[in-house]
Amino acid sequence: MKLVICHLYPDLMNIYGDRGNVIALAKRCLWRGIDVEVKSLGLGDKVEPGAYDIFFMGGGQDKEQVMVSHDLYETKGETIRREIEQGACALVICGGYQLFGNFYRPAEGEELPGIGVFDAYTIAGSKRFIGNVFVETCLDGRKTTVVGFENHSGKTYLGKNERPLGEIIVGYGNNGEDKTEGAVHLGAIGTYLHGSLLPKNPELADFLIRKALKRTYPGRDIEALDDSVENLAHKHAIKRAKKTH
Amino acid sequence: MKTKTKIWMIVGKIIGGIVRSTKAGGGTTLPGKIIRYFRPHFVREVVSGLNIGCVLVTGTNGKTTTAALIASTLKRANISFVHNRTGANLLSGIASALVREKIRELKRSKELGLFEVDEATLPEAIEETNPRVVLINNLFRDQLDRYGELDTLAKKLKMSLEKLGVGSTVILNADDPLVSSIGSNLRCRVIHFGINTDIYSLEGLEHAADSKHCSNCDTRLEYRYHIFGHLGDYRCPKCGAKRPPLDVSAESVELKSFEGSKCLIKTPAGAVEISIPLPGLYNVYNTLGAAAVCLTLGVDLRVITNSIEKFKAAFGRVESIEIEGRKLVMILAKNPAGFNEVIRTLSNLDAKLNVVFALNDNIADGRDVSWIWDVDFENLKGKLSNVICAGIRAWDMALRVKYADTGVDCLSIEPEIGTAMERLLCTAGKNETVYIVPTYTAMLEARRILSKKGYVTPYWEE
Ligand SMILES: [Zn+2]
Repeated sequence: MKLVICHLYPDLMNIYGDRGNVIALAKRCLWRGIDVEVKSLGLGDKVEPGAYDIFFMGGGQDKEQVMVSHDLYETKGETIRREIEQGACALVICGGYQLFGNFYRPAEGEELPGIGVFDAYTIAGSKRFIGNVFVETCLDGRKTTVVGFENHSGKTYLGKNERPLGEIIVGYGNNGEDKTEGAVHLGAIGTYLHGSLLPKNPELADFLIRKALKRTYPGRDIEALDDSVENLAHKHAIKRAKKTH
Repeated sequence: MKTKTKIWMIVGKIIGGIVRSTKAGGGTTLPGKIIRYFRPHFVREVVSGLNIGCVLVTGTNGKTTTAALIASTLKRANISFVHNRTGANLLSGIASALVREKIRELKRSKELGLFEVDEATLPEAIEETNPRVVLINNLFRDQLDRYGELDTLAKKLKMSLEKLGVGSTVILNADDPLVSSIGSNLRCRVIHFGINTDIYSLEGLEHAADSKHCSNCDTRLEYRYHIFGHLGDYRCPKCGAKRPPLDVSAESVELKSFEGSKCLIKTPAGAVEISIPLPGLYNVYNTLGAAAVCLTLGVDLRVITNSIEKFKAAFGRVESIEIEGRKLVMILAKNPAGFNEVIRTLSNLDAKLNVVFALNDNIADGRDVSWIWDVDFENLKGKLSNVICAGIRAWDMALRVKYADTGVDCLSIEPEIGTAMERLLCTAGKNETVYIVPTYTAMLEARRILSKKGYVTPYWEE
């Protein structure tokens, strides 16, 4: 078995150790004997249809986000959206999440186009939402928790029929108002949480791996790993989140 | 000095005395905080009496060491000065440092203020002190939750430097593209320093590299060589922007593990061979920056080299502690770039390593621990024997080490830093060296524990 991960703009969009998510996906496959290939796509590169199982994109500084938004919209957006409709997965964090929505409207300057994977839009806020976050969610019908760290001033609002990743227990989430965090659309997950996110949320990592495998290898499940360190990190991050807010 | 200012100095002294006597700490920021609340321009009023003026030292990495190098040189050159020694690098720390001085001495004989300043505080510090010299060593991602973004920070720094007149000098690390971009079109004098040899060049950018694009035209920079992070000899293929010519440079560098390095340093006052008693290339930058500051102040080059060669590291940055026949080496690592340098030095050692990685997420460390995923722990593959992860975020650190697949023989978690150090020392044989790599507040905690046992002295007594 083999998964191909597409890391979008790794040198431009990697502000909060976001590459830890790619490391976690790759290692959790390799430890199970699943081959992994990570391919980087940068400015100008086109997305070859059917070539990727999981798309990943992190957050960037303002300048990088502007550079990336037009390229993503013009050279990659349409293919990525179609791939996700056809069963590919995605994890997009912070700036990546914003650009996978419909648009991002900054405080000044032009509006940045989004590729519309999520029915969501983001407007620049005046307050920066910073801190540990802890949300309750449901993955594959199982109630669970996700924990991470947020640092954003953009406020994201979901369309009526778009499902959030979870409900905020501690933290601000999408917009600091409606208690939602992130978005899930088919196999695509958008979120403000880094930390890095996947290492200490192994259930979320495996959710993505399982979904990605399903398209090419239907009926094959993945074996459990020894997640004792992951689970301890998860538990203590929740504790820390409660304590620091 | 105005009488009111003097009264506030006395008040500050009393507060400092109370803080120290209650063992609440060294009294390095609280007196200043209180005074500045009641008398906002206290710093301005006091430093205006210094006849040479102020030196401000900033940068993400190496502030404390660089300021300490300057301090030891000033001492040798018989220039009297006030210094915020203990990493209290906000204006409250500067005010507290001023308070500690005797009023009469300050008025009569102190000539210079030497202040280590937090990057984000630099604009305010420039406003308050109208500095004679400003040194910017580097700008890395560090605690973005406090500073906002690097480009924004650089713009703010440039705007405040634009206010300095011709009597001031700005000293910039030319190898850092973001820092050197700050130096264009300033009214004051600008001096550049850098490392002018590719012998330790890295093959590609490390994952912690930040400023990879031209600040004029956003094109990806091309490097003739990398020193570490985004530091190196770069040029922009589109607009032609490039590393400026070096006024003070290291023309050759020979690294000698934790003992330090040997360099040939070229300055306008001549070239000199120097042994730097501090490890790593980042300390070559600290030395070059310190030398450039002291030369600007008119100190003789021989006095500078003498003082650097006899320098003892500021606490915790790199500290070697003897504990019952074993050696504990403590190396502070508070952001990806600094941590990668520590890893580079560790991975060049011959022995397999016994090490405590202590990760805290207090405000002074940065609440967000994501940055450890930008550190290339993978480079420790095959070098680790025994790793204990400690601190408030011990579990996050353990995950980072686990996912680096370093093949560590024994990885364990012990949140209590004292217990972790004890356990590691117990497993080490006689004459063996163990290492602790803490973040800032984890380092303070480790030192507090070691000083309670009498192995080191508390930092405010130094
Ligand atoms: Zn350019």
